[in-house]
Parts: sequence; structure tokens; C-alpha cells
Amino acid sequence: MSWSRAGLYSLLLLSLFIIQESAVSKINLPITGFSLYLAVLLGLMAIEENFGGVVVGFIGGIILDFSPSADSPFGKWALVLTLVGYVFSLNSESIGDFTDRPASFVIFVSLGSIGTLITFLCFGVLLGENNGALGHNFVMVLGNAFWTLLFAPLLLPPAIKWRQLTLTSRERQ
Amino acid sequence: MASGGSNRSRLLVIILIVTSLFLITLDLRGVSITKGSRSATQSILAPIQRGVSDIFSPVGSFFSDIKNFGKTKAQLKELKAANSRLRTQAILDADTKGQLAKLKGVLNLAGRGGYKVVSARVIGRGSASTFSQTITIDAGTSDGIQKDMTVMSDVGIVGIVKSVSATSSIVLLMSDPTFRIGVRIARSQSVGVLFGQGSNRYSLQLLDASGSINQKDILISLGSENSRPFVPGLPVGYVVAVDKTTASLTQTATVQGYSNLNGLGVVSVIVSVSQGDPKDSLIPKPTPTATIYVTSTAKPDTASATASTMPSNIPSPTASTNQVKKVKK
Repeated sequence: MSWSRAGLYSLLLLSLFIIQESAVSKINLPITGFSLYLAVLLGLMAIEENFGGVVVGFIGGIILDFSPSADSPFGKWALVLTLVGYVFSLNSESIGDFTDRPASFVIFVSLGSIGTLITFLCFGVLLGENNGALGHNFVMVLGNAFWTLLFAPLLLPPAIKWRQLTLTSRERQ
Repeated sequence: MASGGSNRSRLLVIILIVTSLFLITLDLRGVSITKGSRSATQSILAPIQRGVSDIFSPVGSFFSDIKNFGKTKAQLKELKAANSRLRTQAILDADTKGQLAKLKGVLNLAGRGGYKVVSARVIGRGSASTFSQTITIDAGTSDGIQKDMTVMSDVGIVGIVKSVSATSSIVLLMSDPTFRIGVRIARSQSVGVLFGQGSNRYSLQLLDASGSINQKDILISLGSENSRPFVPGLPVGYVVAVDKTTASLTQTATVQGYSNLNGLGVVSVIVSVSQGDPKDSLIPKPTPTATIYVTSTAKPDTASATASTMPSNIPSPTASTNQVKKVKK
């Protein structure tokens, strides 16, 4: 991943972060809220190649750590999303190219959101944080995955398009 | 950047993980750079949230309104009639009117408790991906708000101020799993601790082994030293179920909070307490009802005649709303 692409990704994720914090989080969806930011970020991480997902995950995590409503230590999201990006990158060859299989892509991103949130909660336990009732967390994680599953088909095509537009000629080869 | 071989990529992963761990360590050790970054983000986001709040105010509750459609269907007929009546009244923005009503309620409660308050509009809710239950309000240090001040609605406690910027503040809601508040049962004066559970239901644990909890017991805040973070005497909730198990030394119960944390529009931050502990004076009182008993007489015509010619010393039912009236003839 080139520096210019990393910069463009940062700008995109920053814009999504502002939209998430100021608009999306104000909508009282049933079950629980929807994280537009996490859905797009996981989508971008999934289609990256050669450990690009790790870099995208780290950038996305650092931006998410700036969330004023977060009471987790700064850097926790960066660590979680870097690890998730690493797992994505390790398995990218066995998973194959998602752009031809949109349904699989959407399911993968939803499952990715479940994995990410559970990892986040597990790290919270390791750091001695109070995560609250298990049942409530269970509902939150599944609720988020449900909304991701529902909204991802609308969000992921522009994300794929964005990636193709930002690829340099050298990266296209 | 990772464009070379596998070793280089792995080195990159290790560097990023170490960087993350370094940031976590800095934050846990209380380095001000990381603490200040969130405060700076809040200052940047607050004006955007304020702008978006006006647009999203009607949209925000759309889905919850759909969820409650079955419940409100019965009220539809009544609302239609009310709607035609309201058309003739002065046209006032519904959102502003609602906020005004909430504000009146908050100021009324604050006034009775002798609290000096700063009222603010809710301009944002905590992100869905952060697990913490917070709201953002459009008042900050420039309005006299400081960290660890109590936040209240028109019916009771809402939470405490978690962080403050110049023009906005983040409020940790009492439903957050990390939230703890000392409470007193109004009836028995037993003291306990209320725990946030992620919803509007809370868990209460008594501190006194000999204390007792009954259903519908009202809980009020115990207060903290110098009224920070909690002021005393503020209504918190009421007991809906008492745990019958004998496993714990003290009694536990499930509590329903007074404040509807999903429908907050206007809240007030208590900046000082002028009259000391208001004791139980803020406990919500049940709405008074008027009951009229009319015994039938021999002829229906006579009954109607006696009702219309009641002695002047018996107060009219329409005029009496504060007391229960029993009129027997």
C-alpha cells in the first residue's frame, strides 16, 4: 500500500467517523445501534491485499480511538483492528477475491463485525475493564451484525469502487 | 509501507501492534496527550453534532416509533381529534415546544431541590461501536460545567458529566454498566448501591443486612461529599422486583429508572446545591384522582335534579383536583 493511498484511506475513514459520531449514532435503531464506520472499515480491510488490511485496520483503529464517547484506553481499537486486519490478510488467499461474490462478502463483513466486537470485549476483560452484563453485550454484538448484514449491500459497492479508484498503476498490475 | 516480502510485512504488523500497545500503556498511565486528543475531537465534533441534531431530531426516533406502533394505535383516534383542535391554536414548532415542556419540568424539579442548574440540549448519543452509554450535550466549561457533576431530567437523575470541552460535554448515562450510585430507600431509609445494566432496568444491592426492600419502593440518591459527583435527594427509580434468593448476605432487587434515557431532549447539569439535602421532597407524587359517588333516587328525573342543585358548601367535582371527594346523598 502506497503512502498516498494510506492518506486517502485516512481521509475517507475520518469522514465516515464524523458521519458516524454526528449522524448515524443519533438514530435509535431497534435492538442496538449500527456502526457504519465499522462496516465500511471491515469491508475495506477484507478486499485489501498483501497486508494492506493491517495498515487500513491500524489507521481505522486509531481514528476510532479518538471517539469522545469511548472510555476504553486510547490504542485499544488500533490493537484490535490491527489484529483483525492481520487475520484477514493471513486468510486472504484461501478466501479469494470477494468482488465477484457479493453475498459472501456481505456475510464475511457481518461475521467480521462479530469477531471484532468480541475481540474488543475480550481485550477489555484482559485490561480489567467492566464490560457490563454478558447478555447485553451479546445483544449488542448480534444487533450490530444484523444491521451490518442489512446495510452492507448498500455500502460495500462504493467501498470497492473507492479502492479501485485509489489504486496506483503499479498496484493494478 | 508493506510492499515487499513476507518478512517485511510481518515486521510492519509487529511495529503496528507494538505502537498500539505503547499507546494503551501511555493512556493507562494517564499521559495527557491521549486524554487531550479525545477532548479535542469532542470540541471539533460538537458544532457538527449541533447542526446535525436539528436535522436528525425527527428522524432519530423514527424506528422506535415504528416499534411502538401497536401500542399507539389505540391513541390514534384521540390524537386525530386533538390534531384538529391544535390546528386552531398558535403555530409553534413542535420540537421547540417539547423541549420547553421538558425544560419546565427539569427547572421545576431543580427549583424544589434548591439546585442551581445549567440546562442543555442533547446533541448526540454515544457511538454504537464503543459499548459505553453516553450522550453529548451542548454546554461545556464556558457555561460553568465541570467534570463529575450530576445530570438530571424532569423526573430524576440521568447520569454524570464524564468529560467537558469548552462548548460541549459528554454525559455517562446511569444505564452504563460501569455506573454506580449510592441510593436510599425512601420508605425504610435503608442504603444500597444501584448498578447500571445497559438498559433502563437497574440492579440494587442493599448495604445493610437487616434492611428490607418492597416492590414499588422509591429510591433517591444518597449524595456524595460536596455533592460531586452525586447530589443528594434526587429521584432515581422504583423497585419493580425483589430478588428472593438467600444466596447473598444482603437483599437485591431490580429497579426501573424514572428517566427515559432513550428519549432525552433537554437535560440540566447541577452546578451547585444551595439548600443542602432536600431529603424526600423530590419524590414523585402520584397523580390525584377525583372519585364521586352518586346514589340513585326513586326517579331518574329527581337524581339529575339533585345533582344540578347541590348545596353550595359541597365543592364542585370539576373544581377539585387536589383531594378525593366523596359526595353521598
